[in-house]
Amino acid sequence: MSLPPILYHYFQLPLPYARTLALQERIHQIQLLRRRSGQHQDYLLLLQHRPVYTAGRRQLLTSPEVEAEAARLTHIGADFVATKRGGQTTYHGPGQIVGYPLLDLGRSTPPLGIREYICKMQKTIEMHLAEAHGMQHAPSEHTGVFLDAQTKIASIGVQVRHRLTTHGFAMNVTREPRGWFDQIIACGLADVKAGCIADASAIVDLSSVSVVGEIDGLVKRFGSLFERDMMKLDMSAGEEVVDAIRAVEEEARLLGDWARVPAAQIL
Amino acid sequence: MLPALRQISRPAAFALRAARRPAAYGGARLTPFTRTIVTKRYTQDHEVVVFDDATMNGTVHITNYAQSSLGDVVFVELPTEGTEVTQGDQIGAVESVKAASDIYAPVSGVVEEVNTKLADQPGLLNKSPEDQGWLCRIKVKDAAEVEKLMDEEAYKAHCES
Repeated sequence: MSLPPILYHYFQLPLPYARTLALQERIHQIQLLRRRSGQHQDYLLLLQHRPVYTAGRRQLLTSPEVEAEAARLTHIGADFVATKRGGQTTYHGPGQIVGYPLLDLGRSTPPLGIREYICKMQKTIEMHLAEAHGMQHAPSEHTGVFLDAQTKIASIGVQVRHRLTTHGFAMNVTREPRGWFDQIIACGLADVKAGCIADASAIVDLSSVSVVGEIDGLVKRFGSLFERDMMKLDMSAGEEVVDAIRAVEEEARLLGDWARVPAAQIL
Repeated sequence: MLPALRQISRPAAFALRAARRPAAYGGARLTPFTRTIVTKRYTQDHEVVVFDDATMNGTVHITNYAQSSLGDVVFVELPTEGTEVTQGDQIGAVESVKAASDIYAPVSGVVEEVNTKLADQPGLLNKSPEDQGWLCRIKVKDAAEVEKLMDEEAYKAHCES
């Protein structure tokens, strides 16, 4: 029995984080309900966020510190959202591709284990960097993709409930995220800086590296590593998930422009 | 574990009476038998509850299968002592390789105790998932709920399916 295709969608405009989290939750609920009759689908959402710092599940418990961080970071023009995903504080913003695979790990026989799921996600990014950009990753004990011990180019942070996944990965494409990353100790790694494709691609002309230019290649390699067909989500279909996606896109459009650089810190 | 316990599908009290007649088990030598009957039951989400019908305590663990598919555990989120839970409620999470997996109450009842060792030693979940890596103890509301969960054989079949 072959598995259904993964439906993917690329959002043209950067999306507000909290609203996108609500979208993930909505799709998760729809999947949970539809799974009872075996009618649920798997999705891959590809997008950018408007500038935001997010904290992971562990950090919900250290409230005063997290509150202080939230106050500091919202002052420089970003949102701050605490989430239930694994991993620690990180940044998302324009110039960085965020991928949310919303998959049912139990679809395959045997079910895909979490460690394996994370591994495939990581390999997708590593393969993409190597094949599309001639960039070799540096092996690391830490989850994520590193170019060397001090340079991290992609992060992973995931939540799994009843084998349904939410959250996912983030890969730096242009230089725009770097100034924002400098404001935090991302992922709890003190000596590590954010790398990006625009600094290191050996194949694509550095000045023409763009987020949209990475999408097709990423989708193809995701499908190859997860051994699934990838199919563009039909946005003309009148259906709950499509409607929910369209609503978020419309809200993003209405929000207009976003901060390109962090505001000078108020001392 | 006395082999007889796995095959018994009748209420635990029955098992107690049956075990007091060692001859029924081919004359095999039995270790001194305590009053406590302990049943182990499994959920679809790889939680296991070790239920003591004398005290109505259910100790909740994740299975060895679960810990190996998770990877190295770095953080365990546990419920608060005194919380009343319903079977299926989210009661915490286990974090490994940047993935936070929710864990669910296998039975309804009140959380009496949580394993505070896991705060400093989350790796106990990998090293000793079904013993020292216990998550919490629930005062079980209804023993029948435990009986309805999968036994070890059914769980093994579930893992292979």
